[in-house]
Amino acid sequence: MEEKENVLPGMAQDGIHAGFPSPATDYMTQAIDLNKELVKHPAATFYGRVVGDSMIDAGVEEGDILVIDRSLEPQNGNMAVCFIDGEFTLKHIHIDGSSLTLVPANPKYPEIKVEEGMDFKMWGVVTYVIKKVR
Amino acid sequence: MYALVDCNNFFVSCERVFQPQLEGRAVVVLSNNDGCVVARSNESKAMGIKMGTPFFKVKHFVDNGALEVRSSNYALYGDLSHRVMSILAEAVPQIEIYSIDEAYLHLDGIPMDKVPELCRGLVEKVRMWVGIPVSIGVAPTKTLAKIASHFAKTYKGYKGVCLIDTETKMYKALELTPIEDVWGVGRKLAPKMKEKGITSALDFVNRPREWVRANFNLPGIRTWEELQGRACIEDEREERRKSICTSRSFADMISDEEELSLRVSDFAAKCACKLREEGSAAYDVTTFLYTNRFREDLKQYFPSATIRLQVPANSTQEIVGTALKAFRMMYRPEYMYKKAGVIVSNIVPSDAVQASLFDDNEELRSKQERLSRVMDAVNSAGNSLLRLAAQRPGHYSDGIRSEHRSRLYSTSMDDIIEVH
Repeated sequence: MEEKENVLPGMAQDGIHAGFPSPATDYMTQAIDLNKELVKHPAATFYGRVVGDSMIDAGVEEGDILVIDRSLEPQNGNMAVCFIDGEFTLKHIHIDGSSLTLVPANPKYPEIKVEEGMDFKMWGVVTYVIKKVR
Repeated sequence: MYALVDCNNFFVSCERVFQPQLEGRAVVVLSNNDGCVVARSNESKAMGIKMGTPFFKVKHFVDNGALEVRSSNYALYGDLSHRVMSILAEAVPQIEIYSIDEAYLHLDGIPMDKVPELCRGLVEKVRMWVGIPVSIGVAPTKTLAKIASHFAKTYKGYKGVCLIDTETKMYKALELTPIEDVWGVGRKLAPKMKEKGITSALDFVNRPREWVRANFNLPGIRTWEELQGRACIEDEREERRKSICTSRSFADMISDEEELSLRVSDFAAKCACKLREEGSAAYDVTTFLYTNRFREDLKQYFPSATIRLQVPANSTQEIVGTALKAFRMMYRPEYMYKKAGVIVSNIVPSDAVQASLFDDNEELRSKQERLSRVMDAVNSAGNSLLRLAAQRPGHYSDGIRSEHRSRLYSTSMDDIIEVH
């Protein structure tokens, strides 16, 4: 194996300045990165777009973007993306012992009790809802 | 000890993550241009559909609803592969990414009694986090690990993890493994083996060493040793292939991702330049990081990740891009790093490079080569004047036929899943 110790070609940290250095240099830090704030597990995070109004009373409207973290164990009261009857659905999940109920946030829609043998899959827990307001 | 992690029916599994209705159905994924079958679900394997079958021969199954078909969606598979590999890379000190759906984990330093728990945890984690089922085979050599992973995949009772950690298990596994399924034997050698009365891996191992040498030369001996738990593929390869390493200790410890990735890019660019100087190209790109081992008060982390390219490369773009990909897999912000480096290995003469079956970037590759030559010419005048901007994976599917392609669920905002 050939080990080659390199000398890094001189790269000026903040460009090349003539005259006085900027007094702001000492205070430089990284800007806020929403990816880091909203995505705690990048390998497990996916996004979804809301269609319809089944969660309208929870403030979730058509077109909102969901941040879905599949690494989280679903807990009672979580908002979750589930796959049922051939489509993805967004619901609150109510866990009572071994029974699981999908609860919409809109009185127009029924609650769904998940029964043995149903074509059902818990897909991921929603951690944030991103809404465009103008 | 090695663990081979193999994603089950990877392309099909990727499709199923975002289309759970495909679960339990017969599914095939087609090659570029929708030519032939390149991936099959267990159900389509059971229907007798073989790898490489031209699509028109199975189209009638699609028409009568017995088979689901998808065009290959490499952007999707690449993203999910990256997610799987980064979960694996965080779990062990060293990983060799062997292909889009396989990686060898080096388990040295992990107590043997902790290994089953670690592997079962990984199977569960990858399934939950990414939605991809994987099988893990653990054994003292890579050849045996491959056999173990096959058992883990084939027999449900293993729950995804099979260990060959005793002689008894080893001989049992060899007895059950047809010779053509052994890594390194393949379709080319299998007929010759069978001619000589060898049908299982055990038959081969039972032949004397001298007989193996006389009939199958050094590669045969290597496989023969590996099958008996004596690792030699790694060592042999180290001898045969040269590698180029560019690394450096930093004056101050660095934790910042941006700054480290700049250093890694620089090391990788130096390696690429060196490869072009000597007219060679490399299959493997390794990035490694060291924390400061003399600072016992700080948390220590010495990860390395290797990515195997489908076609050996020496372009700055490809080597830098690959080194950065490896870097991002294992970088963790909570450590202070003292040293980093890039190694290119498994080196071949660049005029011997052949495009592989799945390599569809021929045009892009030749563009990259031209650009690299220009960069070399300019840079030879002085100190690395020309540098690359950030590397981004391209998308080269223009003009390629893909009538059944699913959406870019995880890489394009316009294609994310709809939730009702």
